[in-house]
Amino acid sequence: MSSTETAIAAVGLGKRYRVRGLAPPTLWTRLASLGRRRPAEFWALRDATFEVLRGRTVGVIGPNGAGKSSLLGLVAGTITPTCGRVEARGRICSLLELGAGFHPDLTGRENVFLNAAILGIPREDVRRRYDRIVEFAGLSEFMEEPVRHYSSGMYVRLAFAVAAESDPDILLVDEVLAVGDVAFQLKCLDRIRALQRQNRTILFVSHALQTVEEFCHEVLLLHHGTIVARGEPPEVILRYIREYMGEGGPVFTQEFGTREAEIVDVTFRDEAGRETGVFETGRAMYVEIRWRAHRRLERPVFGFSIKTANGLYVFGSNTQITQVPIEAIEGEGVTRLTIAPLTLMSGQYLLSLSIHSWDHAQQYHRREDWYPFAVRNTTGALGAFFLETHWSVTS
Amino acid sequence: MSGESSTLLVNTPSGPRIIPARWWSPSDLDLIRALIARELKGRYKGSVLGFLWAVIVPLFMAGIYVVFLSLLMGRGLSVERIIVGVFAWQYTAQCVMAGLNSITGNGPLVKKVLFPRGFLPLSAVLAQLFNYGLSLAVQFAVLAMLTLRGGPGVDADVLGLPLVVLWQTALNLGLALLLAAAQVHFRDTQHLVGVALSAWFFVSPVMYDLEWVRPVIEAHPWVEHAVWLNPITPILVAARACCIRSVDWNPPPAGWVGLLWTPLILGLGILVFRRAQRHFADLL
Repeated sequence: MSSTETAIAAVGLGKRYRVRGLAPPTLWTRLASLGRRRPAEFWALRDATFEVLRGRTVGVIGPNGAGKSSLLGLVAGTITPTCGRVEARGRICSLLELGAGFHPDLTGRENVFLNAAILGIPREDVRRRYDRIVEFAGLSEFMEEPVRHYSSGMYVRLAFAVAAESDPDILLVDEVLAVGDVAFQLKCLDRIRALQRQNRTILFVSHALQTVEEFCHEVLLLHHGTIVARGEPPEVILRYIREYMGEGGPVFTQEFGTREAEIVDVTFRDEAGRETGVFETGRAMYVEIRWRAHRRLERPVFGFSIKTANGLYVFGSNTQITQVPIEAIEGEGVTRLTIAPLTLMSGQYLLSLSIHSWDHAQQYHRREDWYPFAVRNTTGALGAFFLETHWSVTS
Repeated sequence: MSGESSTLLVNTPSGPRIIPARWWSPSDLDLIRALIARELKGRYKGSVLGFLWAVIVPLFMAGIYVVFLSLLMGRGLSVERIIVGVFAWQYTAQCVMAGLNSITGNGPLVKKVLFPRGFLPLSAVLAQLFNYGLSLAVQFAVLAMLTLRGGPGVDADVLGLPLVVLWQTALNLGLALLLAAAQVHFRDTQHLVGVALSAWFFVSPVMYDLEWVRPVIEAHPWVEHAVWLNPITPILVAARACCIRSVDWNPPPAGWVGLLWTPLILGLGILVFRRAQRHFADLL
């Protein structure tokens, strides 16, 4: 099989739903609505045209309700499109949410066979792989227990173990891994890496942008049912953070201050001076802060802080700490922040900026988590931070 | 897996299709078996008497009818006839209720995995068939006991029983498919079915015999047609004819017509279910 073979191809794919509220449909409501206008409609997915090559891992990101799960359902064939078509070549396996195929009264062992049968794995294969499934899930003492006594994490572990052993050509993952504990999440991600090495195709819906960035070869950004961007993970994820993350996403930006001095505009530049939002580990990063002071302010302090997209506080400093006292500001001007070398690793980050008084009593203007940027690590080094290292060998 | 990796799933507004189309594969059999096992084990796990409940419930009901009919009406139907009638009726009634919820009760599964949706009502019916098999064993044990005490006994007609069970199973499957699809689209179907089922029980010769309605039939001959055109009537009468020596199977032409409901309802069920299943995931 050549690696350029298409695994998933969608043309003009769309799914329209009737808005019918939360209540399930009944004959009564159907009869009652006979004379009335047709109910409101909305497109969960509209005019989606894309291809996924075999062996690629494609992340699907977007705010809640953007159509991510509809897209996965259409590819899996469980949702019938309203228009267009989608083709998927090979055996598809959806990672079931919280053991959808489980029966609470059956034991773990019985549920493994049930779940496998639902996923279309021949019984013989399951029998052969049973020990590996149990070992992977790490539940060997609990297999004869009814799964109703399992924790939600144990449910997911068992479900993932079965799905992983089902050896799919196309794996659809819909935000389920977040339930397991950290150790199991790492195990799952390891398993996904193994599938990637075996040239399997993976469609990966997640809000864990860090994971998407790390695992996906490319990313689709959905918004209101439309694919608004597709491409390299850092750029697309950055665009997502910039444009849509307010909509039910994890980032909560805010600004406050007396506005005696204001941050007017901020420009990110890379080492070569080009405007960008994506930086490289180990290279320089420049931030130009254009400000306006409405009156003369004595001894102001410019500060910044950086958080990861998950909210982890990474670093914060200001002109006071760095001992770059500013006499006074008035009118308009530019303050330049140089971070060189940039010791952050791959991921999405949020920059906060502030202008305040020397004694911290007056906050003139603070923009919290306002400026997202992405970092790409091409150095090959691993870990949480990039350390400037030098080796010398004497013999 | 190499052979399977060439399959192509094409999903269009007319529904998902697998190419090359396969009519049947061994893993389908595994799936049906697993679903039946889930249905049976799931129901009786944790209850002390387990599978015995499948037999105890119809046995109790038969007992109630025997006692109260003889108390109230002064003339009960013979115990054999009531047992055979109630057990067969219970099979259909259980299939209707289990089939009805077979899709709505598996919402997460239907939304996430593509497998032939018809397997859910099918396995619900087959699980009930298994229960019916158990209760038939009890039925014949009771009949044998009654024979020792001067009952009519069993003759070679009993060999026809598998055919009757098959015919009834086909009817049950047709009803299960129809109602499962209806229940997804209209959630109040189950209330209507609950009422309809008790009405159906009273117009069917479960706790009575067609001999009982003989006076009515003589006054109004059309009643005989109406009674026999009930899809379950010929099945109940045939089941009694197979299991009880003193009951014969010689229905009027309307009885033979009544038997034709089975292929009709099964065909309609398959047709409706196939059309409706496209929208299951949207409505669950």
